[in-house]
Amino acid sequence: MKKSLILASIALLPLGTLQAADYTIDPGHTYASFAINHLGFSTMRGKFNEQKGTMKYDPASKVAEVSIEIDATSIDTGHQKRDEHLRSPDFLNVVENPTITFKSTGATWNGDKVATVTGNLTIMGVSKPVTLTVTSVNCGTHPFNKKQVCGFDAETSIKRSDFGVNYGIPNIGDTMDLQIEVEGVRG
Amino acid sequence: MEQLLDRPEIQSAVIPFIVGLAVAAGLRKITRGAWIWALFAAFLCSALLINGTTLMPLTGTRKIILLVLGACLVGGLGAFVLRTTNLQRQAATGLVIISVLWIFWTVMERREATAAAIFVAGAVALNLFTAWGLDLCRKHEARLHGAGFGLLLGTGLCAALGSSALLGQLGLALAAGCGGLFLAWVLLPGQTGGELIHGRPLAILPYLMPAVTIGLAAVIFARLPWYALAPLAAIPLATSLVPYQSESRFMNALVSSLPGLIITGATAFWVWQAGSSSASGY
Repeated sequence: MKKSLILASIALLPLGTLQAADYTIDPGHTYASFAINHLGFSTMRGKFNEQKGTMKYDPASKVAEVSIEIDATSIDTGHQKRDEHLRSPDFLNVVENPTITFKSTGATWNGDKVATVTGNLTIMGVSKPVTLTVTSVNCGTHPFNKKQVCGFDAETSIKRSDFGVNYGIPNIGDTMDLQIEVEGVRG
Repeated sequence: MEQLLDRPEIQSAVIPFIVGLAVAAGLRKITRGAWIWALFAAFLCSALLINGTTLMPLTGTRKIILLVLGACLVGGLGAFVLRTTNLQRQAATGLVIISVLWIFWTVMERREATAAAIFVAGAVALNLFTAWGLDLCRKHEARLHGAGFGLLLGTGLCAALGSSALLGQLGLALAAGCGGLFLAWVLLPGQTGGELIHGRPLAILPYLMPAVTIGLAAVIFARLPWYALAPLAAIPLATSLVPYQSESRFMNALVSSLPGLIITGATAFWVWQAGSSSASGY
């Protein structure tokens, strides 16, 4: 009897998580990008071309989890020479630290929509807590392949110096705006 | 003032040059190892301006900063501990190899065994060849500093051209510090005191360590072509072959610096041409 109760408790505890749908991030419809001030003159934009990860999303049980791994070597600002410099030890040092990761640890909700996702962002091997503001989130059936899809847009700002990326400050801005648009496909 | 100290040319040229000159001049009557402490002080000032006091995350670049400072300490103090010439020579090359493994271990772990083995073999060959050349120069101060200056200038310049201004700045700061101490040697003769550190094999360590580690880092972490390191490593050997010896310190310094300057100029031009062919003017 006691054993059955324990088993039942274990089965019920993560119910929300179990009910939340698992999604695999679609690299073709996921964009991680950044914007940074350049010498005080203008805003320079760039993106990463390769990323992978998983997410769970279920408004009913208030589950919103995301885990993303970005290939730092895929940085792309539309200028080959500058991209080489950004990969070098001056900035991302991609040979030593080839990935940038974000793993969520919590979320806040505005009704049945997720409002913010908090998690640990790891750049250059340094992990810092970051809160993503979710500006859009939608789920539904894909019109062509009929699979269940969830997508969200989110943004935040970080100080790159917090992650040990100090080169060029203050000429090249310390504050970076990050945007990420993600689509996850179920199954 | 803060804005001035943020400028790369101040951090990597003016400050280390002045510090190298001042410390070498100040200590010249006390020890013949004054130049090692001058290089240590010059690089310490530059490293603090370039990197600050932060050591975390302990990146490869920060490991290099610590190792170069450590090499100056070992070069300056180790000669008093290890009296045997052979032991000093082995210690110098052994310390550089251990340092290379420490810097690049995490990167090599992710590579295939063959690629890692080729890298280690190349690093050992570079280290031994550079050390051999410096060892040929070590008993003649003008040659040692001429070779060291050329080696560090070439490594810094090529690292900067190989897409890492940070590594380039570290190499150029050492070259500027070396230039300062070399000028002190030319202008202020009459070093009298203490131990004959400059002639001992461990004294090559302050030049060997940065040349090998910054050069390899520019290849592995940035985009310096590996074959650019070969002519740079030949600078000490070329310097040792200069037959000219004058009564004038200025002439000795000038002639001893020429091979390094010529090889550095040619290699930097080669690297610049190779790099500039793939992109427009960034």
